[in-house]
Amino acid sequence: MKIRILSVMLVAFALFAPSAIAADLTDVGYIDQAAIGSLPTFVSANQQLAQYKATLDPQYAAAIKSARTDADKQRITIDFQQKFTDKQREIVGPLFTRAQLAIAQVSSSKSLSVVVDKRIVIFGGQDITKEVLDLLQGSQAIAPPAASPPPSEVGFVDQTALDSLPKVKQANQDFATFATGQRKVFQQKFAQAKSNTDKQQVAQDYNKTLADKQDELLKPLVDQTRSVTSDVAKKKGLILVIDRADVIYGGTDITKDVQDALGK
Amino acid sequence: MSRMRSASSAIALALLVSALGGCARVDVHSPQIRGIGYVRIDEIVKQHPLYGQLSQIDDAIAAINLASLGPHVPHSAAELAADTTQLNRELQAAQQRANTILAQKQAVYARKEQAAIAAALAAAGQGNAGAQSAQQMQSTSVQQAQSAAQQANADYMAYQRSVIAQNNAAIANVSRELQAQANQKYQARAEQLQQNESTLALQLSQADAAKRLAVKTRLSNLALDDATRNSLRAQLDALDRNEAQVVLAQRSRDQADLLAYRKTLQAETGAAMRTQVTQIQNQTRATLLARRNEVASQLHGLGPMSLPSNLSPAMQVKIQQIHQQFVAEFRADAQGTIDEYTATKTDLDRQFAALHGADVGATGAAAKQLADLQKQRSDLYAKIVTQIQGDATRIAQDRGLSVVFANVEAAAGGYDMTDEVSKDIQSMHE
Repeated sequence: MKIRILSVMLVAFALFAPSAIAADLTDVGYIDQAAIGSLPTFVSANQQLAQYKATLDPQYAAAIKSARTDADKQRITIDFQQKFTDKQREIVGPLFTRAQLAIAQVSSSKSLSVVVDKRIVIFGGQDITKEVLDLLQGSQAIAPPAASPPPSEVGFVDQTALDSLPKVKQANQDFATFATGQRKVFQQKFAQAKSNTDKQQVAQDYNKTLADKQDELLKPLVDQTRSVTSDVAKKKGLILVIDRADVIYGGTDITKDVQDALGK
Repeated sequence: MSRMRSASSAIALALLVSALGGCARVDVHSPQIRGIGYVRIDEIVKQHPLYGQLSQIDDAIAAINLASLGPHVPHSAAELAADTTQLNRELQAAQQRANTILAQKQAVYARKEQAAIAAALAAAGQGNAGAQSAQQMQSTSVQQAQSAAQQANADYMAYQRSVIAQNNAAIANVSRELQAQANQKYQARAEQLQQNESTLALQLSQADAAKRLAVKTRLSNLALDDATRNSLRAQLDALDRNEAQVVLAQRSRDQADLLAYRKTLQAETGAAMRTQVTQIQNQTRATLLARRNEVASQLHGLGPMSLPSNLSPAMQVKIQQIHQQFVAEFRADAQGTIDEYTATKTDLDRQFAALHGADVGATGAAAKQLADLQKQRSDLYAKIVTQIQGDATRIAQDRGLSVVFANVEAAAGGYDMTDEVSKDIQSMHE
């Protein structure tokens, strides 16, 4: 009889009990950056920036037109980008710092370990947009939170830093060279195509050729990076890893660990 | 013994139920998942029933890019501005050149006239005194006339520049307005056709849903032999192919329709543009001609006609005739320079009109078509992603997840919802 009761209990346990007791992760917040961008102060700053860009664009076009070599064009482009970035820092920088402080303060008050961009959250999480907007629109200075964010089980990697690894750079460069060559090849094919159907076919082949080459050159690197990132994440006790560009506050940066592991 | 056996059986059953339950339902609150899910949206997009349409838009974009490497290169706003500045610079240079030549010719004819008057005086035996006197007075008058002519030329050039700037601005406005009207009509037609294609694709997919489901149900039978399985797969492929062919055929008809419509719009816009540009240019030419005649008559009045009183009436008449003859010669010669300038200006006007879209078929339409396709792509992609997100949200609620991320870089844990969402979306179109 005892054995029968035990067996029924086992069935019940197996059917209804979770495999282990673990608390869900509830310290993930998100923010709608577009809402912050639509605040009058940000709109005005962006207008100033747009006006500056409008004066810069013709200068850039004239400079590029007078450039003789690709190296000249590259140098001119970098110079103009730098000018724009400097202006951006000057105009938007103070507003951006204030927004960061507001986000940090709200996150701290809600004990969030990571705040990400709204666009990457499909479901759940805590929306802190309104609290941040309220704080930003106030007239008082915003003090930085007393404590730094708690350790997060959501990690992030700086994808741009990973893209600058020599083998990734080389693969990207090889792909760019291939794409330039194929453009010329398919341009000729396109010009020779007689009917619209032929032209459609050429365009389709062109896209497929590029996609296949991209798979051949870049997919192994993407897979390797993903695998290495997963291994690092496991070692660090993280659950997920996202791109740094989507992280607004907190999170665990594992970029260097991934870079080191990929460089081995 | 029998009790022991029945207890063992119960435990085995319990373990089996537990194992089966584990297969069907993942515990999203386990330490490995902790309520976190993620979806690789890019992968699901490739499985979405509307992905075919997305690829076709990509191909159409590629086609425009490949074509635009040829003679019809679409201009960016910056290139357009730079080229316009260059054309205006060439126009100003042409004005400057024409006016310099006219000033030089005027000086040459004045010197010739002076020499002819001196020769006439000498031949009439008026002596050096009369000739010198006439020469001196005429020289002073010529200097005054030249100075006045220079000033008048400078004024005329400034006036010409302002009239031509107004002319260019008017042409640019007309061009922009006509092009915007044409593009608006074209975009409306393209959007309507695109909408029809999307609706058709969905209707076909839904119409075949029952057949597809029946075939898939038979395919899920594990006991099928290879031949039957292959035959069923072929039926599925045939359904897909037929749907794709119907949509493709519709698309080809739509593209032909759009092409014809674009040609009609080009013709209409080109004709309207030519009429309006001709009107503006005629008005500009008339305005400039009127001003030039006005200036010429003013200069004419400043001609070297104050002659010494000691000249005989016959000699005065003779000198008048010489003057009128050189004025006529100068005008005839100057007309050649003015004609050359007018030809240059007409050519630059034509280039200006082409640059600003008088020929909608060349630069403007390609760039516009590209922008339209990119917008269509962006709209369709957003539609697909919205559907994926909606589906993922529903599954997340059903599973009891706390938070779901899109497109993670890597995962050491969490619940990967990609396959589940993908199958769900496909089943909705079956």
